[in-house]
Amino acid sequence: MSDVDFVLEYPYTRTTGPVVGPFLTGLRDGKILGSRINGRVYCPPLEYDPATSEPVPPDLVEVGPGGVVESWTWVAEPTTKHPFDHPFAFALIRLDGADTALVHAVDGRVARGTRVVARYRDERVGAITDVYFVPEEGAPAQAPIEPGAEPVRLTTHLIGLTIHEPLQPARRRFAQGLLDGKIIGQRSPATGKVYVPSRGYDQLARTEMSDADDVELPDRGAVSSFTVISPVRYYGQKETEPYIRASILLDGADSPIYGVDIRDIPPSEFRVGMRLRAVWRPPDQRDLGDFDNRQGGSWESVIERWEPTGEPDADPATLQEYVF
Amino acid sequence: MAFPSRDVAIVATSQTPSYRHFDGPEPVMIMRCVNDLLSKTGLERKDLEFTIAGSCDYLSGLPFAFVQNIDGVGAWPPVYESHVEMDGAWALFEAWLRLQLGDIDVALVIGSGKSSPGRPREVFPLQTDPYVMAPLGLDPVSLAGIQARCLIDAGKATERDFASVVSRSRRDAMGNPNAQVAVDRSVDDLLGEPYYCEPLRRHDLPPISDGAAALVLAAGDRARALSSRPVWVTGMDHRIESHHPGLRDLTTSPSTALAAAEAGAGDGPVDVAELSVTYSPEEVVLREALGLSDAVTVNPSGGPLAGHPVMATGLVRVIEVANRIMAGSARRGVAHASSGPALQQNLVCVLQGGE
Repeated sequence: MSDVDFVLEYPYTRTTGPVVGPFLTGLRDGKILGSRINGRVYCPPLEYDPATSEPVPPDLVEVGPGGVVESWTWVAEPTTKHPFDHPFAFALIRLDGADTALVHAVDGRVARGTRVVARYRDERVGAITDVYFVPEEGAPAQAPIEPGAEPVRLTTHLIGLTIHEPLQPARRRFAQGLLDGKIIGQRSPATGKVYVPSRGYDQLARTEMSDADDVELPDRGAVSSFTVISPVRYYGQKETEPYIRASILLDGADSPIYGVDIRDIPPSEFRVGMRLRAVWRPPDQRDLGDFDNRQGGSWESVIERWEPTGEPDADPATLQEYVF
Repeated sequence: MAFPSRDVAIVATSQTPSYRHFDGPEPVMIMRCVNDLLSKTGLERKDLEFTIAGSCDYLSGLPFAFVQNIDGVGAWPPVYESHVEMDGAWALFEAWLRLQLGDIDVALVIGSGKSSPGRPREVFPLQTDPYVMAPLGLDPVSLAGIQARCLIDAGKATERDFASVVSRSRRDAMGNPNAQVAVDRSVDDLLGEPYYCEPLRRHDLPPISDGAAALVLAAGDRARALSSRPVWVTGMDHRIESHHPGLRDLTTSPSTALAAAEAGAGDGPVDVAELSVTYSPEEVVLREALGLSDAVTVNPSGGPLAGHPVMATGLVRVIEVANRIMAGSARRGVAHASSGPALQQNLVCVLQGGE
């Protein structure tokens, strides 16, 4: 049973405001701005006086491009989020003309007191990553920089977290069951209730369950709830046509399976109480798709579709407790 | 109204071991703690009038993981419920405040986290400034390295001091059944290891851990009824410093010192201190900020260097102090929790046994 790998992404777009905006615009255009507050120059610039926390009007002045390392660490093994994919230094850098230090990356060995100088990347977007630092001694020349037209009013930051974990024990047995064409649930030793898929515990009785509590369930049941989703556009959206997501209470279960994808039954015919049975994919065409430790979804990677059994509908009143 | 207006005590504690990887869902770790606490106190689920948890969805990468965690508490019957995206020590702070209102007497406090599925050095930059730090992937290990360098350059500590903290902590952890990294290694042996984030070596960092911790907090006579040895929370406070490292003196922790003063840490002898020393150089900073002499026992459990279930780590410090007071091996102690890189935000909790 393979481990689960997935990337959790959130795209952030932020407004920049009267101080960070000009600061990021400056980086794009090849200069570093600090802010003058009560006779001190702060870099990175601030919208407030850190001594009093009172807001102050922007009074921006250019600092650097050279500066002095006040403290540093040598990052021997960079992460995928760091500005360099080879060893580098993170340093507190007090830029010429500033009274406070900026944290940034230096591409090269430094020590306390080492002079460094800003270098700009060829592709600049108005972000802190437009710039990096190198030791001033032997620094390569800065290529000419063409200033941009519009000030930077928005900045984007795509967060991406890589997650790697094994399927949890109850989940592993459930997944193996699906590959074998079986739906495995668990019967709570505390309450007798049958959960499918099981989380490995009975959350109402706060009782852990083991493989001794596994039970096989029939691959048929009644629709307990559904929704018709009309796709709207958003980052990562792949759907274009309306589709159904249904909850189905399998015969003998006390919890519905949910998030079941229904593509072959018209929404106008679909209803609570409708009896359905699974049509499994052939064994050699089953895989676990993006099956993970989340509870719902991904039935479609082992079950091709759900079809009406033709049996009389279940009484919707008996399904009200099994909506989700 | 004088504050705190009610006497509030810890009446029972529970924690899982620190696991390198817990092979199961996070709610199961919580469930084990909650069931343990109910068994120890004789309370039923419905008697827990307020429940609050500290956890972080980013760690396991599961949106709304904090909701699923309620499975471990039992969502029925409904009670006052709260959550902080902070270490469980801050959940304790909220519960302590909540009991001051006087309408309820018993609270359950939880901290839990599974760091093992993700990459902590890539998760934690998300708590830094989103304009000038997070896009650099500026991580707590690197900032701890910068802080260590500041201490060395200021003449306040040496790499040998850092190694001494590690050697002592992980040796002490050999007596802690919940510890993840417990080993007897000499300072000279540790100093022979290569740098990881110079001047830090790998052993100056905490392990990556999964784990949970929980306690029952009760007020006044209810506390006395639930425990023959209640551990009173005599003071608690937390303070924060600038998120710009360049605006801080990283060799000191004024927020810790202020929180300690407000919590009354110095108002009596300190028999034991459990500190969130996540990176070994932080012990140097915290000892000074808390005014702890070399005679004070710090982190007899081994501390976070022996097990770091993020979001439970600070609450575990409180529990380790409380357990020693309950056992009678200490009468008064200080627990410390931290949040943010390089000790940016700090909480101090003062605990005392007896009346």
